Amino acid sequence: MVTRRGFIGGASVLAISAVIGVRSARAQDSLSPVSGGSLAWGVETEPSTLNPHLNGQAKAKLILRNVYESLLARTADGGYVPWLATDYTISDEGKTYTFTLRDGVAFSDGEKLDAAAVALNFRKLKEATYSGSISAGHVSHVVEALAPDPRTVVLKLDTIYSPFLDGAAGIEIISPKAFASQQLKSGGSEIAGTGPFILERYVKGQEIRFVKNPAYNWAPPNAGHQGPAYLDEITYRFLPESAVRTGALTSGQVDVIEGISGNDAALFKENPDFTYQSAINTGTPYTLYLNVTHGPTVDVKVRKAVLAAIDVARVIESVYRGERTRAWGVLTPADTDFYDKSIEGSYGFDAKLANRLLDEAGWTARDADGLRSKDGQRLSIEIVQSQATLRDQRDVLLQALQAQARQNAGIDLALNYVDAGTYADRQKSGQYGAIPNSTTTQENAVTIYFHYLPRDLGGSINYSRTEAPEVLAWLRGAASTLDHKERFDIYSNLQRFAILEQAYGLPLYVPEDQVAAAANVHGVRFRPFKHLPENAYNIWVER
Amino acid sequence: MDVENVTALRQVPVSPASRHFSLMRATLLSQVLGRVGSGILVLWAAITLSFISLHVAPGDIVSLLIGEQLRTPVIEAAIRAEWGLDEPLFSQYLSYLWRVLHGDFGRSYILQTDVATLILSQILPTLKLTAAALVVAVVFAVISAVATAGLRWPRRIAGAMELVLVSTPSFWLGIVLLFIFSFTLKLFPVAGDRTFSALVLPALSLGLSLGAVIGQVLREGLERALEEPFALTVRSWGANGLTLRLRHGLRHAALPAVTLTGWLIGNLLSGAVITEQVFGRPGLGKITVDAVLGKDLPVVLAVAILSAFIYVVLSTLVDILYLLIDPRLRART
Repeated sequence: MVTRRGFIGGASVLAISAVIGVRSARAQDSLSPVSGGSLAWGVETEPSTLNPHLNGQAKAKLILRNVYESLLARTADGGYVPWLATDYTISDEGKTYTFTLRDGVAFSDGEKLDAAAVALNFRKLKEATYSGSISAGHVSHVVEALAPDPRTVVLKLDTIYSPFLDGAAGIEIISPKAFASQQLKSGGSEIAGTGPFILERYVKGQEIRFVKNPAYNWAPPNAGHQGPAYLDEITYRFLPESAVRTGALTSGQVDVIEGISGNDAALFKENPDFTYQSAINTGTPYTLYLNVTHGPTVDVKVRKAVLAAIDVARVIESVYRGERTRAWGVLTPADTDFYDKSIEGSYGFDAKLANRLLDEAGWTARDADGLRSKDGQRLSIEIVQSQATLRDQRDVLLQALQAQARQNAGIDLALNYVDAGTYADRQKSGQYGAIPNSTTTQENAVTIYFHYLPRDLGGSINYSRTEAPEVLAWLRGAASTLDHKERFDIYSNLQRFAILEQAYGLPLYVPEDQVAAAANVHGVRFRPFKHLPENAYNIWVER
Repeated sequence: MDVENVTALRQVPVSPASRHFSLMRATLLSQVLGRVGSGILVLWAAITLSFISLHVAPGDIVSLLIGEQLRTPVIEAAIRAEWGLDEPLFSQYLSYLWRVLHGDFGRSYILQTDVATLILSQILPTLKLTAAALVVAVVFAVISAVATAGLRWPRRIAGAMELVLVSTPSFWLGIVLLFIFSFTLKLFPVAGDRTFSALVLPALSLGLSLGAVIGQVLREGLERALEEPFALTVRSWGANGLTLRLRHGLRHAALPAVTLTGWLIGNLLSGAVITEQVFGRPGLGKITVDAVLGKDLPVVLAVAILSAFIYVVLSTLVDILYLLIDPRLRART
């Protein structure tokens, strides 16, 4: 049996309430929780599908987690605690994972949670016709999903694949009946889960309502309490406009909101009638990735010059009024497993360096606008930003970058906001100078693989388009060892190579989630490890 | 002269009238058939144009469906097979037409639900919103036109107000209305389509700018009518100014305003997108925008069919309204 880092027995209840970045959680633990009542929560994003397997939206997780649960839960320090599974083992050669299921767990449609149901979930996820791209992820390594007895699930992998435990432990288990439902792909009340709430009503474009699951009695030990949820009912209202969410909370029409703009944060932080919390996301920072296969950024000197030409700290401070954290690495600091903070401060704004590098690269002439050029060609890098991910004042941020690059080094960053279709085309053809983006929730360093593997080997968001052989070798090496220290060192090398040596991208800021609530709402918190807002299980309303 | 005509029509002797009616029925039948024919043509054109333009727009459907997730030949093949995208474009088009004729609008690529169910669940809130906005627009236009037509200062003030309303983005107007009436005064709820009071603010933010446009046209028509000789005749009967404006003037002024309104209802439907978003209302607006951006062909086509259908119905209604408003047109048919 191999490492079971941080796995804590079912009896030891963890009192983890400390979440990175909780900035103004008021003293609210002195009161004892009361059951009953309902709550309205204004959310920014409507789920595209309610099937938890098929929904890839980080922002939809807080809603779906009310109904759907997974085998293991994570702790703040990156460990695992029992949930639907009470125990797990990994075989010595690292390719067989055995989960022991909790007894007495039932789906809300009456089906039993047993090994056959869990194995069926894994088998279905492997089918491309059911799960599309998800079938190529973690589950693609599963050769066999077996149920030798009702409480034992055995997953056999084709190879040692280190991110598997995090991935498999986090897969939501849906009722076996669901796979025969018409609603399977869109999700709905026929897709039953084991969670503390049951989907009651979904009005597309308006709200989604859940009622308490009175039979619920299998919360993970760090969930805050045991037994059924406190609330009888919770409604999530879809309010896509940030100003409207803020107004709805201040006027008492909803009790909790998420997604608060930098300008509105002070409104809740300074006001005793509300609580305000924020937590930085896991995944990758919002980073400007520079294309190594197209345009002037093919030259590493130009890429390094871009990194040196922009005073990121100042730009972030002024655009977000101190409400966002400057980023440095290939992962965000929230990815505590593998974030190597030695990268912080190891590079930075240096206009002289930027200009020297560009001179060396031959961009010595200046055109009428004061921008650098070579052989009559302007030093222009086209930034292609998808309209769909343009949020959180990123347009202002990009304009600030543009001004800095121009002023400090004579680089022209040409901004181009495109629709989804054009974005997909440019991704396919590689015809772009730079793409800024961030990812969330692909923890356990999995996101590094999507960003740095060659595109045809699974690097679906390899925006820099690097195919450096050393990067590929590192990634393969790290995936095939279960030694945490070894993986950490490899990703650390990769980070230094990608940022310092090759300048594949310029990390800008760490995306975060914000939640504000009325002062009489208690128990609103972030998930201990993934830092997304938690479901409504532990929330109660003081009357 | 108009007044005399109306009385003349009412006084036609009985026997020629029945002949007149049978004649009218024949022309009515041919008119109805013509309407249905051109309606079907419009529907077909809407389907075809939407189909072509979505395929001409950048990005292929499979890439959009996969997005930034992992992509392998197996996944691509599975997606193509699931949605019938592996067939030639023209046969996709034909099979779509065939299925629509049988009432099958397909399944949404992105939302994975049956399109007919999806649209049916979302059409009612949108219709409610547009109908309420239309009421707001008409009431606003009539009041503003009748109260101020021909009066120097009131019409200037009303005109200026209308100009402001027309040039205010409905997004901004919505936020301002919410801020005042929902967040501060707490008179109306912000979100959703639950109660009648939740309809008030969205209807105002969508309807006022439309009302401003119609109001301007209506006022001009009213002013022109008030200068015509019949106005003097009506006054000589001893009718007061309001009766003249409401009972006689408005009828004359209404024709161009009705035409404009019929045309602008299309704008209401597209303007509903933003209003629905601001107020967190369900409706067709957001679904349509998302479907176009994501090339969700079945949804786009169904919406195109629906809007073409609404236009056909509306233009028919406008034509009928003409007959009701202006008896002279009735006499001609």
